Amino acid sequence: MAVEALVAVSIITVSILAAMAVTQKSVYVSRQALHATQVAFLLEEGAENARIARDDAWSNVAVLDTSEQIGIFSRTIVASSAKRDNTTEDISSAGTDDAGTKLITVTVSWLEGGATITKTLQFYIMDIFS
Amino acid sequence: MTKIFSKKKNGYAVLELLFYIAFFVALSLIVIDAMVTMAGSFRETAIQAELAQSGSILERIGREIRTSHDISSVSAADLTLSAKDADGADKTVRFLLSGSDAQLLENGVLVGNLNTPNISVMTLSFAPITTAKGKAVKILLTVKSNNDASNRIVDFYDTVVLRGSY
Repeated sequence: MAVEALVAVSIITVSILAAMAVTQKSVYVSRQALHATQVAFLLEEGAENARIARDDAWSNVAVLDTSEQIGIFSRTIVASSAKRDNTTEDISSAGTDDAGTKLITVTVSWLEGGATITKTLQFYIMDIFS
Repeated sequence: MTKIFSKKKNGYAVLELLFYIAFFVALSLIVIDAMVTMAGSFRETAIQAELAQSGSILERIGREIRTSHDISSVSAADLTLSAKDADGADKTVRFLLSGSDAQLLENGVLVGNLNTPNISVMTLSFAPITTAKGKAVKILLTVKSNNDASNRIVDFYDTVVLRGSY
């Protein structure tokens, strides 16, 4: 009789421990979701910073290479040259450097439970004011 | 003589009982601890969800700034924007930190709070940026959940260029 009870209690214990593991995982996931929300705004801010640099003077954009720490997040904004196809004039991997177009890469990374998570936002910005 | 030694065994030995009781006690301690952890985890998940949800405050502010064409007045926790409504008529959109609520006012009339009742807005600050070609606003939003006993605060940062100012 006692053996049956023992088995039953062990099964119940194991199931409750499994449920506990699931809830702890859910805490980890929801914390990560909150960080992802914060990072979405930081990426947007990085993109707008590139736009602000462009609005001040186009020469500011080419030299854009910033790195900063905001709380647990580290953000870099880097400008790189963009090429245009010689015949179609579309942005492509080969061709001539376009002085009026830059590729901006905003990267935000942070430490989540021992692992580094990185989110990247890439876009082209054009010299529309000069 | 043989009858005495081959007496049928009934019930449990004291040692056996002791072992079972100890085992059940240990298991129930584990289960109770797991229950307490689970209750804490559910509370924590709810708090994190509320905080992530409060990102929509900044979402709304960002969208209004993006569509407006000028900043009509700005101070630390009070921003008034000039914008156009759907019919092209002028309107003002104002964001204000009142107590622990982020308020939205359109044409001077209170539309409502942007934060949910269980979220306290600790900081809402605006810093204008003027460029050669336009304007932008840097925003800092700090919130905390009223359900959080440890009073953790979460910062949201954003900067938005006024697209209408070009």
